[in-house]
Amino acid sequence: MSQLIGRRLLSLVFVIFSITFLTFIVGYLAPGDPILVMMGPRRDPVLYASLRHQYGLDLPWFQQYFNYVGGLLHGDLGVSYRYQGRSVNDILGNGVGVSIFLGMMALVLSLLIGIPTGILASLRQNSWFDRTSMITMLALFSIPTFVMIPILRAFNYFVLYKNGLPSLPPAGWGTPAHWVMPVIVLAAVNMGYMARLTRSSMLETLQQDYIRTAHAKGLPQRQVVTVHALRNALLPIVTVIGPSLAFVVTGSFVVESLFAIPGVGFIGVQAIGQRDYPVIQGTTVVLAVAVVLMNLVTDILYTVLDPRIKAAG
Amino acid sequence: MALSEATQPLPAAVVRRRARRGFWWRFSRNWLAVVSLMLAVLLIGTAVAGPLLYGVDPNYQHYTAINAWPSADHILGTDSLGRDTLARIMQGLRVSLIVAFYVEVLNIGVGATLGLVAGYRGGRVDNVISRLADMLFAFPGLLFAILVAAVFGQAVTERFGGIGRLLLVAGSLALVSWPLMARYVRSQTLALKERDFVGAARSIGATNGRIMWGHILPGVVGLIVVSATLDVAAVVVSEAVLSLLGLGIQPPDPSIGQMIRQAIDYLETNWLQVFFPSFVLTLLVLVFSFVGDGLRDAVDPQSATNTSEP
Repeated sequence: MSQLIGRRLLSLVFVIFSITFLTFIVGYLAPGDPILVMMGPRRDPVLYASLRHQYGLDLPWFQQYFNYVGGLLHGDLGVSYRYQGRSVNDILGNGVGVSIFLGMMALVLSLLIGIPTGILASLRQNSWFDRTSMITMLALFSIPTFVMIPILRAFNYFVLYKNGLPSLPPAGWGTPAHWVMPVIVLAAVNMGYMARLTRSSMLETLQQDYIRTAHAKGLPQRQVVTVHALRNALLPIVTVIGPSLAFVVTGSFVVESLFAIPGVGFIGVQAIGQRDYPVIQGTTVVLAVAVVLMNLVTDILYTVLDPRIKAAG
Repeated sequence: MALSEATQPLPAAVVRRRARRGFWWRFSRNWLAVVSLMLAVLLIGTAVAGPLLYGVDPNYQHYTAINAWPSADHILGTDSLGRDTLARIMQGLRVSLIVAFYVEVLNIGVGATLGLVAGYRGGRVDNVISRLADMLFAFPGLLFAILVAAVFGQAVTERFGGIGRLLLVAGSLALVSWPLMARYVRSQTLALKERDFVGAARSIGATNGRIMWGHILPGVVGLIVVSATLDVAAVVVSEAVLSLLGLGIQPPDPSIGQMIRQAIDYLETNWLQVFFPSFVLTLLVLVFSFVGDGLRDAVDPQSATNTSEP
């Protein structure tokens, strides 16, 4: 067990190093001189040199990298090039909470609908429910996020709003009504993925000998499914929760900018428009590390659920 | 008939021809893949010849037809600036496919080559290549591509114009797709290099280069083609995401992602303007996924039983 934790921590360090190092290198190679941008039309070589020194840009690259990581370890993401005196933390600030909230709601929704749908479909294999739900889930999985958005908005406008039915606000953030569409869109891909994975995992588990034994003992179907089959069938689902967040991260850029939600993705897209590199870097690091930590949580969850891992590790 | 075939060894050319016929035969049994392949050819043909045949400038603003519904003048209508939708879709399709083409050239050229070398050489070379791939795997989804395209976009466009931008988009997408290709090819190479025919080749004095390119590569080609085809479906979406975020082809030149982004704001006025590009994009994704699935089943018949499940 301790060996397993040690290996996990080592790979965690490597992953965090990769994220910060590559992000730093891209920022280091970024075209344009941030000091000149900061100084605007003024051309004062003394001020230029002192600013360069102040921001540590006169140091060799590896020292700059150490300073960058040192800052990150203190939770300091650097200083904005665009807004003088504002730190990246300050700019990303509220966005982090909004994005995590949105991402978690989407994840929970995709699990809450995807897993039960997959289970029901597997229990009634090749039935009417199985076929229609799996085709729907395949569609949810393969329709790109930004195609999903106009579909939902068109439904909201033409079907609900036009007929005087209660409808949702087309964009914005604030009330729970604003949450509905973005969360559905963000959850769609994972929901389809989870449902189909659950179904095939359940089907495989239900064919195992111990399930037949449980049936042979005369246990009721409900107990066989919930106690015996589910626990094993859900193991593969737990392993993909972490990696599946990658969809949520890429999706959050699209969803947040199209629904005007003030999350990290939205702020990142704005920073892209303003070429505010430290903010773009900060967005990248925050999102990537969030996924890494989530991966760690699912790994720990996995060892709790599956005692065999502890023995093997 | 079957008996005489079994007893007499067939000439190598016949065996090869049969193997090839077997592949297309297996592929043709999958009607979804066949239809998708025809549609893919149609889409590529439209992207190549469509703009020439249609002859409408995709950037020209027809001020008398703003947000127009389909008509004889504009077969698919116009957008909020009066630009012809069909002309823009065909141009955007061209952009999507060109980007996908460049990405796969890089993906195969870099990813497959590194995977082959890593798998065959092993040791330190393998370690360096695999760690490099792992570093890029650390970023979820498109995050690293977004970062690279965002930081270098402006400067590249200023220096090299639209073509430079196109290459940057392709390059940044290839950056996130080559590690997976390398991983696939590496593991297949690891399996192949233990096989007897490699030992046989070495025993007659074949060089490492010859074994890699002449003996192992043919065994990996199927895998490379399948994963590149499936990757096209992903790349088309990724390119649209980058365009949507303002990182792709710059306006006024059309790309499908950008068209969707602009048309969403006019959904209530003219929903067809968002429908057409979305439809074409979804079609493109589905078509390449189905062709990829069909190729996978045809290359590796054993996998055919598994593909009905996700």
